[in-house]
Amino acid sequence: MREVKADIVIVGSGAGGGTVANELAPLCADGIRIIVFEQGPRLRDDELTGREVEMAQRLYFESGGMLTHDRSMTLAWARAYGGSTTVYTGTSMVVPGHVIEAWNVPGLRWDDVRERSKKYLEENNVHLLEERLINENNRLFVKGCTALGYRVRQFPVNVEGCRGLGLCNLGCPNGAKRGTHRVQLPAAERQGVEVVTNATVSSVTKRRCLVTVAHREIGEPSSWEPGEYRVTARVVVVAGNAVNSPVLLFRSGFGEYLPALGRGITLHPALILAAEHDHPLTNFFGFPKSYFTDEFREDGRFLLETCMYYPFTTAKNLNGFGAEHSSFMKGFRSMQQILVLALDDPADTNRVEVGRHGEPVVRYRLGRNVLDSLHASMKTAARIFFAAGARRVHVPAGTTFTIGTADAGRLDDLVPRSNVRPGGMSISSAHLMGGCRMGADEKTSVTDAWGQVHGIPWLFVADSSLFPRCSEVNPYVTVMALADRVAQRVRERFKELAS
Amino acid sequence: MKHLSQERASFLLTVAGRIVPEIREMDPDGISRFFGIVDGALGGRPRKARRQFGAFLGVVRWLGLPRWGMPFERLDDDRQDRVLRWLQRCPVRVLRQGFWALRTIVFMAYYGQPEVWPSLGYEPRWDGNEALHA
Repeated sequence: MREVKADIVIVGSGAGGGTVANELAPLCADGIRIIVFEQGPRLRDDELTGREVEMAQRLYFESGGMLTHDRSMTLAWARAYGGSTTVYTGTSMVVPGHVIEAWNVPGLRWDDVRERSKKYLEENNVHLLEERLINENNRLFVKGCTALGYRVRQFPVNVEGCRGLGLCNLGCPNGAKRGTHRVQLPAAERQGVEVVTNATVSSVTKRRCLVTVAHREIGEPSSWEPGEYRVTARVVVVAGNAVNSPVLLFRSGFGEYLPALGRGITLHPALILAAEHDHPLTNFFGFPKSYFTDEFREDGRFLLETCMYYPFTTAKNLNGFGAEHSSFMKGFRSMQQILVLALDDPADTNRVEVGRHGEPVVRYRLGRNVLDSLHASMKTAARIFFAAGARRVHVPAGTTFTIGTADAGRLDDLVPRSNVRPGGMSISSAHLMGGCRMGADEKTSVTDAWGQVHGIPWLFVADSSLFPRCSEVNPYVTVMALADRVAQRVRERFKELAS
Repeated sequence: MKHLSQERASFLLTVAGRIVPEIREMDPDGISRFFGIVDGALGGRPRKARRQFGAFLGVVRWLGLPRWGMPFERLDDDRQDRVLRWLQRCPVRVLRQGFWALRTIVFMAYYGQPEVWPSLGYEPRWDGNEALHA
């Protein structure tokens, strides 16, 4: 076991960890040693091949297919230099005011979150894509929504030099997304922050981090030799994500003092829906995600977004098998896709735990409200597809594999609520939130409004696990805003904490 | 195959041919790629999940025995599909989920092959934005 002394350790290099690293980086000029530990590799540009299965294995935990405990959902998050910012689409939304109000965290105000979010919108080159860069898959969504009178909004995105490969979720081979792997981490490293990749932190007890650095066949070699390390630090910031951060704190023995640890996770359960048009579309190339509608946020508790996934992901998300499934897949070039996100409420039954071997266990029950939302969203998406001119629509809960235009008016009959069952359709999540939620009460929350763990002044959390409820928008900008607050608090208290 | 016996692999290929009909027409290279992906996928899962997958293949194989008196591979196409359809809509959640896992791994091993993509018209291009106006 090698011993290493640091001043600040940051666990995780995604939207939270990368932000904290860059915000604290100026301290390096005063001789403060800051180390970021990232579990995944630092991939070289030529290792981002765009091949779906290969990149899933290289970038995602359990290839993006980690199952919830009851096996009803898969969870996707990345392990790489830059965390999940390497694989998001780059849609950059400021959390709405009503969400922060519903979070009801004393000391956390929306105007503060909004102002900090704006800082990152600027830092990450967030803008609206020019109309000429919008492909037909996205235009058809606008056409369908507009015909039905639904409000449509364009996503601001954080790309620069995007060539429209459409491979955002597999790691952009052009380096066009302005994730922490492109912006905050390189800036932090230039100022002296050390980023150690292939490094798994197994516990953070008493300001000591146990770290294992592994050798990997892919990516740049880690800057540390493979082996076991004990790293002492004055401040530890945990930013592993809504699964890893609670699990790390459990493994470190904090579950005993923090009754809310791991509890109240929300996931924005998602479905991918598809329809076939009678002609080839520009769909899998061009930027994949440009529009959404929040028309049903209040009444239906769901959002609809444009999306276009790759062959395996698409095949997996269609129900059925055999000739009809295969025939639909052969129409890939004529396919339009819509992503549904259900806006779920936290429940005590939904939580992160640690398994017998220290592995993460996510217990999440798809409640009746979420299933109702998914049911309503499927029918709404089908209406949008038909209004956009689709000739047949695949609805996972449909009584037939596809529904044709002749039956477009019978969706209520053809998509029965009784068909919406856990384990009967491909439900996934890439928006993992909660588990170390902020709040004032130590019984119902894990950290204060500045990410400091209750009763442990040297320990902070800076990721989406802080969210007391779901964000109702793609969460990364909010994570950065909250991480910015954490960094401010660490800066303000560093001298006191160091002593 | 590191993570599936020869017998189970052979049975998986039979079932896979009902899930994606094109798998029955794959050449030896395609079959080799198919099992390469299956092996990689199973290798990346916890040991318990690998054991459960193997056990589920056993369930699929013998599910039709009480009704038709023979294992899955000796049933005709229609009966094989009936077995799979029953599993897909099975009231027992664990069997339904097993079928989803089976389907997922078959789709991954087939549609995850770049060699298959041209048959779908999916050919990722580096100049996607230029192609929008081609």
